[in-house]
Amino acid sequence: MQKLQTGKRPLSFYALSIFFGLFVLFLYGPMSAIYILSFQGPTGGLTFPMRGWSLHWFDALFSQQRTGDFAGAFTRSMILAVMVLLLTVAISVIAGLAFRRRFVGAAFVFYLAVASLIMPGLLVGLGVGLTFQTLGVQTKWFASALGAQLTWTLPFGMLIMFAVLSRFNRAYEEAARDLGATNWQIFLWVVLPILFPGMIAVALFGFTLSYDEFPRTLLTSGAANTLPMEIWGMTTNVTSPALYALGTVTTLVSFIAIALALGSIAIIQWRRSRPVGNVSSAKEPE
Amino acid sequence: MKVSPALTSYLQIGPLLLVLLLFFGIPLLVVIAYSFFQFDGIDSVPAFDFVNYVDVLTSGVTLSLYLKTLYYAVVVWAITLLVGFTVAYFLAFHVQSLIWQMALFLLCTVPFWTSNIIRMISWIPFLGRNGIFNNALIGAGITQEPLEFLLFSDFAVIIAYVHLFTLFMIVPIFNAMARIDKSLIEAARDGGATGWRIIWDIVVPLSKTGIALGSIFVVTLVMGDFFVVKVMSGSQSASIAMAMSNQIAMVQYPPAAASAVILLIVVSLMVAAILRVVDVRKEIAG
Amino acid sequence: MNPADQRPAARGSIELAGVTKRFGETIAVRNIDLKIPGGCYCCLLGPSGCGKTTILRMIAGHESPTEGAVLIDGENVVGKLPVERGTAMMFQSYALFPHLSCTDNVAFNLKTRGVEKTERRARARDMLDRVRMKSFADRLPAQLSGGQQQRIALARSLITNPRVLLLDEPLSALDEFLRLQMRGELRNIQAEFGITFIHVTHTQMEAIALADMVVVMDQGQIEQAASARDVYDRPRTGYVAHFMGGQNVLAGTITSRQSGNFTIASGNKKIDITAPRSATASSPAVGDQFEVAVRRDRVRLTRAPSQAADAGVNAVTGRVSGIEYQGTWLKISIEDACGEGFVANVPDDQFFADPLKMGDPVIARWDADELHYLVARPGRAAANGSTVVAAAGS
Repeated sequence: MQKLQTGKRPLSFYALSIFFGLFVLFLYGPMSAIYILSFQGPTGGLTFPMRGWSLHWFDALFSQQRTGDFAGAFTRSMILAVMVLLLTVAISVIAGLAFRRRFVGAAFVFYLAVASLIMPGLLVGLGVGLTFQTLGVQTKWFASALGAQLTWTLPFGMLIMFAVLSRFNRAYEEAARDLGATNWQIFLWVVLPILFPGMIAVALFGFTLSYDEFPRTLLTSGAANTLPMEIWGMTTNVTSPALYALGTVTTLVSFIAIALALGSIAIIQWRRSRPVGNVSSAKEPE
Repeated sequence: MKVSPALTSYLQIGPLLLVLLLFFGIPLLVVIAYSFFQFDGIDSVPAFDFVNYVDVLTSGVTLSLYLKTLYYAVVVWAITLLVGFTVAYFLAFHVQSLIWQMALFLLCTVPFWTSNIIRMISWIPFLGRNGIFNNALIGAGITQEPLEFLLFSDFAVIIAYVHLFTLFMIVPIFNAMARIDKSLIEAARDGGATGWRIIWDIVVPLSKTGIALGSIFVVTLVMGDFFVVKVMSGSQSASIAMAMSNQIAMVQYPPAAASAVILLIVVSLMVAAILRVVDVRKEIAG
Repeated sequence: MNPADQRPAARGSIELAGVTKRFGETIAVRNIDLKIPGGCYCCLLGPSGCGKTTILRMIAGHESPTEGAVLIDGENVVGKLPVERGTAMMFQSYALFPHLSCTDNVAFNLKTRGVEKTERRARARDMLDRVRMKSFADRLPAQLSGGQQQRIALARSLITNPRVLLLDEPLSALDEFLRLQMRGELRNIQAEFGITFIHVTHTQMEAIALADMVVVMDQGQIEQAASARDVYDRPRTGYVAHFMGGQNVLAGTITSRQSGNFTIASGNKKIDITAPRSATASSPAVGDQFEVAVRRDRVRLTRAPSQAADAGVNAVTGRVSGIEYQGTWLKISIEDACGEGFVANVPDDQFFADPLKMGDPVIARWDADELHYLVARPGRAAANGSTVVAAAGS
């Protein structure tokens, strides 16, 4: 991507920078308020001022039934997110490979996925719930909710793989074939490793979208709650900063996932592209 | 075993197709079927009856709900478009180092990977009567009384929508802008065009597909939302999806299904209208 | 002269028999017959779209011919996988696996054959040593320069012990300075390993620098397949003469024949040239197409007394329309000399003794032995159907 002329920055640059700064403040400001308020003292309320600092509300969160089944919901959300992650990566990668060739029905699948992406989650949840009910099967968080969440994560995964594969040089596969690799070997030893950073991005989407997913899961998780549903339950009768503590904890989990994913991608890309020493084209070894 | 290329494609696309059909395609058909069922107060009775549609379409509440939801959708679309376009423009054209571009872009997208509900809730202590904003205003002497309209109002709902969904505008618009050949801009500047002319005549037309994609996302997300409007308006306002979720909570599935189908049709029409203006197929397919 | 001829019959001889390749409606390669001896360094030369890369890929096994046979050491390999043919291909972008170290890249073929890790890594290191890249064994491809990457790509291909190595524009990705350096390396490695190299390029100077045999192609057909010297000095057709550069082509219709001379009409000029020895009384006849080439550096320029001066036999007149300094010689373009442009390459000391200016009228002369008679392309047969004298060399 080309750069504009460097040199004296126009006035618009400063105006736009300020705008951007305000936007970032807008994005992160309110969330920061929550993080601070979660350390509210035991006698503190839902809004400022802070009455002392404590971990009281975190404690309340972890300790008992008064604040709902936090531990259970958290576990379920994590397991579900991991399952969704694995399935999304596997299905998106091979679907992406399929779309490299033209085949009958390719457009249909593509539009089906896009439709699934923009469909309001409530409708999908309603549909899946009704379907299970009609079939006489109980909705369960690890079955119906899993499927409903996949309708949200798979289109994202597919679009990411499109972007990654469109930059994938087919010459690698030809070179591997030339050197005697079978199709399986080409896939395992060449295609997958090169696609790996893209797969991490898909995994990130799969995990976080599932972990935070609400409308689809609301109607399909059956008797047991996921974490977003617990949070929702608490919002309707917000009585204490324990909700904020929950917000801080759950955001922390998200941040860890994001950091792991982006960090891994950065490390892989850096390893694969950094020049060592002064590699000038005029200098040759020996 | 030599597998033909065509068969390989079908095997690879299979899982995606299966999941989408099972958890999206079929549930959609089930919802449509249920919309024709009768509700006798307790159970859904299979039938082929238009009664639900008649009820929904002739109810005055429906019209006011749609107007309200459309009002939200249009206002939020306009604001996110302006903000999103400006931020994307800043990132694409004024940030000159690729590293900074990526870093700032990631800065904007990280909140996407955290919980929507938490982000929404974080506005409550911010906008409340004793909230940060009001306290700041009073402390700075700008007002004497806390501003009531900030929270549990349309204003709060719209702020929350903008906070959550601007990202969906930024990403596709930024993508489209990044692909614009910078030498076009330089040529225009050489020819004497001023900043506004350049934006209006060159940048906007070339980022059309990004704007369209972003618009589709924002509009469908607002039209289908039921929890932001509930919490941020303090249950004073409502939306189509919220009314639907109430019906679902009371197991009134057939009327809810009919509402869902009608919502689906309305949203599809809106998406189709956007697509008539801009053809986004090439953009998605990369 | 040709080193390949002095060695005992080497393996890796290639023959294309009646090979045609169609992609849908387009014919990329048209009924090609070609024999390449084993151990030869062969360059396929031509512009984009001439079919040279398609031929390379058909020999490699990445494409299959629509018709015809591809024989390696006498055996038809059509339908066989690349790895079964004893060929190895070096791709234009090198296609080194970015996630593997140099050692693992080179060892890749051994891995597909099931050779166990320590052994294949050791053999890969030996090969790296042979291409003098041993100290880069653990580096990743992105950490190498273009020339270094080429050596790794070579090593990766050579470890498969091929009889034929196929190179798809291997030097195109390098800058000018490096290109010249790596050229020599390719030649040395070919000599050392003794296998047949088939090297696709669009650069004439590269082809004649490297190749024992140059195959000039255009639009899916072979214009000439001969040694580098023959292709440059004795081009078979006007196309080859133009493509290789360094020649002037005088082409036109014969308007009259006198004793030992022809007059041809080229453009709006009439040019008298010595007839070839092989001409008979009747062939070529008046009215036939006739093409002849003269090397640009074998032309002598003198100032013309006036513009309409009569040139005489084996000469053309015209006006200077371009002067380009090229170091040891100057390229003088002359307009209105013949149908197509005429160029004289004049040594620098000669030029600067009496420098010409734009627009100066000049006479360009050459000796009769410098004439080289060309064959008309089959697609450009004379209008009256008569064939043209095919005298390659005077």
